[in-house]
Amino acid sequence: MRSRDRKFQKSDEFSKMFFFIFFFVVIGIIFTGLPRLAIPVGVAYVMGHLLMPLMQRLERLGLSRTLAITLIFAAIVIITIYPIIKLLPILAEEAENFQYYIPKIEKFIGATYVNLRNEVYQRTGLELGDKTLIDLVTYLKDGSRNLLMNLPQYLASLLEWMLLVPLFLFFYMKEVESVKRAILRLTPNSIFEKFYFLSHQFNNQLGGYIFAKIVEASIVGIIITTGLWIMEIRFAFLLGLIAMITNIIPYVGPILGLFPAILLALAEYGISSNFWAVIILYAIANVIDLALVFPILVSKIVDLHPLLVVASVILGSQLLGVVGMVISIPMVAAIKLIIHEIYLEIYPTGKE
Amino acid sequence: MSYEKEISEKIEKRQPLPAKLDISVIKYFWQASPFTSSHRDHVPKFLRKIEVLKHFSDNELRILSKYLHKRTFSATETIFRQGDKGVGFYFVYSGHVEAIVSSESAQEMGEITNTASKHVVSLERKDYFGELALLQENNIRSATVIAKSSCDLLGIFKPDLENLIEEWPTVAARLLQAISIIVADRFYLISQEVGHLKYKILQLENK
Repeated sequence: MRSRDRKFQKSDEFSKMFFFIFFFVVIGIIFTGLPRLAIPVGVAYVMGHLLMPLMQRLERLGLSRTLAITLIFAAIVIITIYPIIKLLPILAEEAENFQYYIPKIEKFIGATYVNLRNEVYQRTGLELGDKTLIDLVTYLKDGSRNLLMNLPQYLASLLEWMLLVPLFLFFYMKEVESVKRAILRLTPNSIFEKFYFLSHQFNNQLGGYIFAKIVEASIVGIIITTGLWIMEIRFAFLLGLIAMITNIIPYVGPILGLFPAILLALAEYGISSNFWAVIILYAIANVIDLALVFPILVSKIVDLHPLLVVASVILGSQLLGVVGMVISIPMVAAIKLIIHEIYLEIYPTGKE
Repeated sequence: MSYEKEISEKIEKRQPLPAKLDISVIKYFWQASPFTSSHRDHVPKFLRKIEVLKHFSDNELRILSKYLHKRTFSATETIFRQGDKGVGFYFVYSGHVEAIVSSESAQEMGEITNTASKHVVSLERKDYFGELALLQENNIRSATVIAKSSCDLLGIFKPDLENLIEEWPTVAARLLQAISIIVADRFYLISQEVGHLKYKILQLENK
């Protein structure tokens, strides 16, 4: 009787484990296979992480959860509607102007290149090939043309997101606990404690990382935008936005954000006081970021070696492009957490 | 003849009346009905019966019960092993579990042998175990706990405690108070034991 009992229990445990893993594999396949679904869900998850503490505070005041979420949504709309209405036309205008600006940059690059080639030829007697240059210019042209050609498509998906993200966000905030409990109920007994503890730790790390990154990017974006705007540099808002978005990518991002600014400043002003002012502004913004914001906010949350960070960013860009660069750090942090746990399992450190 | 007429006739004739409504039977059927949500109250009621949680108010127990996870184990299933990292504190809701402490040497051999080094404690409904996991940073389980029969356990885990501290600080304080009482009682017993043993050692040395 007892052995039969044990047999039954083993198969039960096995099927639970199988179902549990199957569940996650299916979710993983759905999300990697359907970026149209995965991106709004991801955005909703990130925003949910940010808004959750606010919701809990409102709930503690005695509001029902639905009312708390509705209030938060209303507040977001009211707070963001004025800047969006003000900023969007400026950004649109700048983006449109930028397109007419490309030939100027192209000409500038060409002229600089001819100078450089002449100089190199005079000094060393070597002739530089122009393959790289032609590649670069065609890349720039194609890139901007593609952007303009696909603009309606981008706008359409933006509209889709504007509808889907609030929807997902609402239900994420409303149901997150019951979903968590449902997943925990599926978890087999043998891995329950480990799974619960690890997923909780990872969620906390990820939430902290996202929060820190958004604060960091906003600080850098605001410094650069206001600086450029005060100096009356063209495309101040566009450049500020680019700097803010690229700042999310660790280490490599600030350089990516600087690149368009240098090109524009060189093409517009040449090597003049304005050009140096732009460089100094970017340097100041990044020094503030590196010296103050990053050590205080980000590095404490994700405890990764700088080399590992750079390596994972490169790997992420190789596999998934820009999205890969952004999500690589949380992914590596999760993998590190799991490996550390397995390490402790295999090499117990004795009694601590 | 209608029921009312029958009753009034019986009253007139001073005959014994039929049995009154049995409230407890009705209550039983009411609670057994799948449409009432009274099974939700079972966990707070169960917690009420636990001695160490006597400082909780009824409402606090209701909140605490939302943070507990009911885990079902079948007979002979291991709940956790000695030497595992622990994050959970369990109450036995139903069934029997057995805590087995094997001595250091048996552990090092890599197996739990059936020798005298084994120390077994049987736990039943309303008993609890694993409370140190909530207090220690890196808790290592000091015993193996195995389900003796199929059983339901109510577990609260470190992440739950963290959420509880954030969301209901008073309930978290009550829970920690309860665990402190358990730990303090045990510490008192152990220090008494140590005093006793020291005295015995002294006696042996003097001989």
